[in-house]
Amino acid sequence: MDLVTVTGLSKRYGGIVALSDAAFSARAGEVHALLGENGAGKSTFIQILSGAVQHDGGSILVDGQDYRPANPDAAQARGIAAVFQELSLIPDLSVEQNTWFRHEPRTWLGTVNRAEMRRKTLALLERYNFPALRPDQELRRLTLAERQIVEIAKGLAKDPRILILDEATSALPAREAEWLLKLTRQLAAEGRLVIFISHRMAEVRAIADRLTIFRNGATVAAHEANAVSDTEIVTQMIGRHLDRLYPERVASATDRVALSVTGLSSGSRLSGVDFILREGEVLGVGGLQGHGQRELFQALFGASRASGAVELWGKPASISNPRQALTGRDGIALVPEDRRGQGLLLTKSVRENLTLSVIRRFSENGLLSRQKEADLVREMVDFLRIKAGTPEQLAGTLSGGNQQKVIFGKMLLTQARVLLLYDPTRGVDVGTKGEIFQLMRDLAAKGYAILFHSSDMPELVHVADRVMVMRDGHVAATLEGDRISEAGILRAAMLEREAA
Amino acid sequence: MSAFLARNRLIVLAYAGMVVLLLVTALFSPGFLSVSNMRSTVVLAAFVGIVALGQTFVIIGGGIDLSVPWVLNSAAIIMALLCGGQDLPLVWVMPLLLAGGAFVGLINGVGVARFGVPPIIMTLATNVILQGLILVLTGGSPTPSAPALIQFLSVGRIAGFPVIALIWLALTLVATVLLSKAAFGRHLYALGTSATVAEFSGVPTARTTILTYVISGLTAAFAGMLLTGYSGQAYLGMGDAYLFTSIAAVAIGGASILGGSGHYLGTVAGAMVLTILTGLLPALNLSSGALLVVYGAVILLTVSIGSEAFAGLGGRLRRN
Repeated sequence: MDLVTVTGLSKRYGGIVALSDAAFSARAGEVHALLGENGAGKSTFIQILSGAVQHDGGSILVDGQDYRPANPDAAQARGIAAVFQELSLIPDLSVEQNTWFRHEPRTWLGTVNRAEMRRKTLALLERYNFPALRPDQELRRLTLAERQIVEIAKGLAKDPRILILDEATSALPAREAEWLLKLTRQLAAEGRLVIFISHRMAEVRAIADRLTIFRNGATVAAHEANAVSDTEIVTQMIGRHLDRLYPERVASATDRVALSVTGLSSGSRLSGVDFILREGEVLGVGGLQGHGQRELFQALFGASRASGAVELWGKPASISNPRQALTGRDGIALVPEDRRGQGLLLTKSVRENLTLSVIRRFSENGLLSRQKEADLVREMVDFLRIKAGTPEQLAGTLSGGNQQKVIFGKMLLTQARVLLLYDPTRGVDVGTKGEIFQLMRDLAAKGYAILFHSSDMPELVHVADRVMVMRDGHVAATLEGDRISEAGILRAAMLEREAA
Repeated sequence: MSAFLARNRLIVLAYAGMVVLLLVTALFSPGFLSVSNMRSTVVLAAFVGIVALGQTFVIIGGGIDLSVPWVLNSAAIIMALLCGGQDLPLVWVMPLLLAGGAFVGLINGVGVARFGVPPIIMTLATNVILQGLILVLTGGSPTPSAPALIQFLSVGRIAGFPVIALIWLALTLVATVLLSKAAFGRHLYALGTSATVAEFSGVPTARTTILTYVISGLTAAFAGMLLTGYSGQAYLGMGDAYLFTSIAAVAIGGASILGGSGHYLGTVAGAMVLTILTGLLPALNLSSGALLVVYGAVILLTVSIGSEAFAGLGGRLRRN
């Protein structure tokens, strides 16, 4: 018998239909992938399952009994836990305190039993072979990837029969992502149901037994994973045939140097980086996570203190804050890592977000011209095909892909021709990913110079003209032409370090 | 029009509340809607409104200014001392004290934006320091009476209109242009919504923050001088009431106390609501202690209705 059976599930938010007819069934002991573009209804579906929101219509049966949790605690009482993309951890607490938050083991006095909590944490970490985490580490000292791993520990601490993993690998570097895939199989082998959401087809392929595809708030298909091809899946997800994810790589680099960096150092994570980026070139930045990629992007954008020489279009540039970086056609713009925390004002409109960096461009005598602003906004909404009801729609209500497009638009309006893209496709649906890659090649063809970091290695391999591999805060190797491959990047990132 | 209403729902609510409150007050005290009474209500509201102007900018930017009571009080007392009841010195005393208010704001702003001192601590400290300085300066003795010109600005009339109401109107126009029509306004809302996003978008966050505190220092000092004209003299503690009212006016006017939203047009309604309340409560024949309790409770209720928690029941941002 199926552990979960969902039929005709629907959910509206005001006038917006998030789910119209979702169906789903899954057995205990399987890994079940949930696929769909952003906005397809996956998130709403798992929010309902995890008790965060309540459905309007349809039914959910768990173990053959009606299931309608009023809140996440009620869902957990029925054995369902979720690990969300948006982290729910408390920075001031330790790994173990976060893991057992609100479910701490107690002494007979009612106080937290620290010894027992430590023992249970260590047991949990060992049982699932967690990568290097110490129970007493404070959350604020951990990287994003490590926090994501703590979030997973927190989900497992509830010993759920059904575990939902929402894009849990998107923040993880390759090795940790691999661990998570193994963990997922292990959980299924223990007889649990794992509902797995990922935009990375290779991962889904590696672990899923079955998959269910959502589109526009409804289930369009459910398959045994080995009975369906990638093309079929993508076609069903986007409702049309997608020729291919990666655009043709037409070499457009000229001899003109757009960005030249010599001896760039910052703190302990970035030491003596040298490279040049040419006009019309897409230069990939790869390597294992935490080897200075983030620091490189932040230093170039003026978001952190750095020393070394930077030249933009042949002229020395001293950039000590983002405002200086974004000044004019000789500037340098960044699509930041954290879309919601660094890139977008979620409670402000698409219009206000798009024009935030270029207010001078539509000011006359110090007063804003709404007409000129509307022109700029329309130009970008059309150019990037941003899907928003009106420019007044709040940025926070857009899908992830469209939010990312708004950030691209904000950056392009600054007219800076050196672009820093830090993981621009993270958490973006496959259709929009393709559009972003095409956009990158189009911009390169127009003479933009693009520095591109991705945590998804195939993206570097297929989109970049050259790939610069970072290790211990400097450039370990720069790969060109045929040498650009996942194996080549990994070798440069890891092997030589072992030899040293 | 409906888009305008949706976007400015809380401001519209503040004005609706003001009208309801006016009608209720008129029921309890029939003379309340008379021309002369409305005139004196507007005059009293103007003092709150002018202090709250700077407070509005600071709060939208994500900060708070607790130094207004003694910036106001210092300006009042120093003006009275320097003028000695004469009009002529005002020519240099007024600009001097406005600059002084701006300077205190500059210190607040630099402390917050450049040195990372939390706004509450920074402005509370300047408030106490100013209080101490004024006590040292006056030794507690009373000051000379206010110059006639200042009295004209606070209680005089032009063609039947209170001069201070005209000043308030002019300031409202300036504030509205700054918030709605100038780059500064855009920067300010972005800063208050997310300082990190603003910084990453090239907004001059430090300069914008500092400017809000400078404006707040200016308006508090200006209100202090005008209030001296209204009372006829300056006295210790005359600014104390304006700490609470300036913040409450902003909150009642629909701004989030966490920054990023609101408008001075809402604060204007907030200042009116607070002033009408002080007119209503005596009409209910309550003791002065009971008055304060009701006053506080009503403000708490009004602010809560407009707060995120209440507004959030229906309209929280949902993600799919």
